[in-house]
Amino acid sequence: MTPLNRYTCEEAFRRLDDYLDRELSSEETVLVREHLEICAGCAREFNFEASVLKGVREKLRQIDVPESLQLRILSVLDRER
Amino acid sequence: MSNAPDNLMDGLSTEQSATAQAAVPLGADDFQVLLVEVLPTAYGYALRLTRNRADAEDLVQDAALRAFRAMTTFEPGTNFKAWIFRILTRCFWANHRRRQRRPNTVDFDDTPDLYLYARSAEHGLQWEGEDPARALIDRLGTERVSEAIGQLPEEYGVVCTLYFMEDFAYHEIADVLEVPVGTVRSRLHRGRKMLQKALWCLAEESGIVTEMTQREGDV
Repeated sequence: MTPLNRYTCEEAFRRLDDYLDRELSSEETVLVREHLEICAGCAREFNFEASVLKGVREKLRQIDVPESLQLRILSVLDRER
Repeated sequence: MSNAPDNLMDGLSTEQSATAQAAVPLGADDFQVLLVEVLPTAYGYALRLTRNRADAEDLVQDAALRAFRAMTTFEPGTNFKAWIFRILTRCFWANHRRRQRRPNTVDFDDTPDLYLYARSAEHGLQWEGEDPARALIDRLGTERVSEAIGQLPEEYGVVCTLYFMEDFAYHEIADVLEVPVGTVRSRLHRGRKMLQKALWCLAEESGIVTEMTQREGDV
């Protein structure tokens, strides 16, 4: 029988997104982390998901901001004053 | 005695440096300083929404002007960036949303959890170096990742864009989009699954899966 203070794979998986987004309570975070320490399969899945999120985030943040944008907007605001 | 409201540090936690000084109503000069700080990320968000540089510039300018005119409504002590993003999002829905969305070729219905993980395993990509997910995303590149986000149904795409582009917490995204936190959580959960399917479809279409599979076979 699973002790009450341990998460099963299913319980840990249900919290995958919130865990990766740091949206869990500290108690839940500890329980998920403890599960990942003893379950290689879940740890592999969580690491894969974390890596996807990190990779997508880095790609989407690669943006060249036009140098003229700031001047253009500040000029519009100056005219508005 | 401080004029700071009791909820000065409540809720929106990012850009605190931009909000800490804001205990008194914003003046035009203060507004411009805060605006310049958030312009790059606002442009990035606008670009992901409009998918067009000219439209993104127009959207940011439109939002900046509306925010300037409404700066007395900015609540001192709250998050200026979230406030600007909220105005920008409203501008997008109202004026800049394209009538013709890109036709979506991906069927997102019932996309299972761990979609990329499962597909990668099926194709033997799980052992691509130490980080197979990273290898796949790197091969896809910025353009295809952006395209994948663009394929999501709009309500999911906007949430995912805010989530990936910024370090907003769920409650901050909810504040920007003016929806309950639970809505953000559920759309984000589903949106991520859809995004994984879109990424995989693009990887297949562009030959990346075949290329990686062959590499695996060569090892």
